[in-house]
Amino acid sequence: MFDDISTHMDYKGQMLAEKYLQYIIVAFGVLGFLVGYATELLSHAMVILFVGCIVSSLVTVPPWPMYRRDPIKWLNVREVKADEVVEAAASKKKTTTKSKKR
Amino acid sequence: MHTVWARANAVFAFSVSVTASVAFACFLTTHVLDNTRPATIGVDKAIVKNLKDFYVDQKKDLGIVHFSLKANLTDVFNWNCKQLFLYLMAEYETPDNKVNQVVLWDKIIRRGENAVLNLRKQSTKYYFFDDGSNLRGREVKLSLHWNVIPNTGYMWMVKPQSHHSFIIPEKYAIRKQ
Repeated sequence: MFDDISTHMDYKGQMLAEKYLQYIIVAFGVLGFLVGYATELLSHAMVILFVGCIVSSLVTVPPWPMYRRDPIKWLNVREVKADEVVEAAASKKKTTTKSKKR
Repeated sequence: MHTVWARANAVFAFSVSVTASVAFACFLTTHVLDNTRPATIGVDKAIVKNLKDFYVDQKKDLGIVHFSLKANLTDVFNWNCKQLFLYLMAEYETPDNKVNQVVLWDKIIRRGENAVLNLRKQSTKYYFFDDGSNLRGREVKLSLHWNVIPNTGYMWMVKPQSHHSFIIPEKYAIRKQ
């Protein structure tokens, strides 16, 4: 059932997701360090960083539509007859056997 | 980054690295500070007896010391200091051993507890046995050391700023009949 849910992103989307991931976690890390330094509690710094990791995973892990804006442009589907496919496979075999005999 | 698992793995690994760097930054802000503080030590009573040590069949000198201690250690605590381990050390020299160091008393102060020490006529926690019978008439230096136990970074031992010297009496204490 879970295989039916599509989780792909296109390549531009993956780049974007990686950027967001790193920036969000680093931003929350810096914020947590400053808040912890101000309140003199290391636990504040770590909790803020943990919240930042949750936020980052919510933004980058699920395949949001913003990561699918640049889909791969596949070539058009071309109709091929069955005989053509067999001929193409046979001609490939002939060329490989010729090179071996040399 | 092409599947959910790859992205989740990337999030987790990157957050572990950032956690390590936040901890390192915390270590950098605190381990350059000076942790020595003044402490006033006094000796209220010092006598010496000659008794058998527990598992050794030989009589050794036992010093009985009552001391007083005043120190304010509240500003040693910062966001990286988890607890302080204090110990009062007696140091002296004998013909048998060049350096003798005996811990007489120790205390753990956790973050949030009262860090102002004001002890008077405090008896020692541990026995002040000498390695031999050379305590009579000896000059003994008492000093308060502490270890700062941090949340991140190495534990560091703080040396005392001053010490208090006293002389142990020449004769053994006689039990009053």
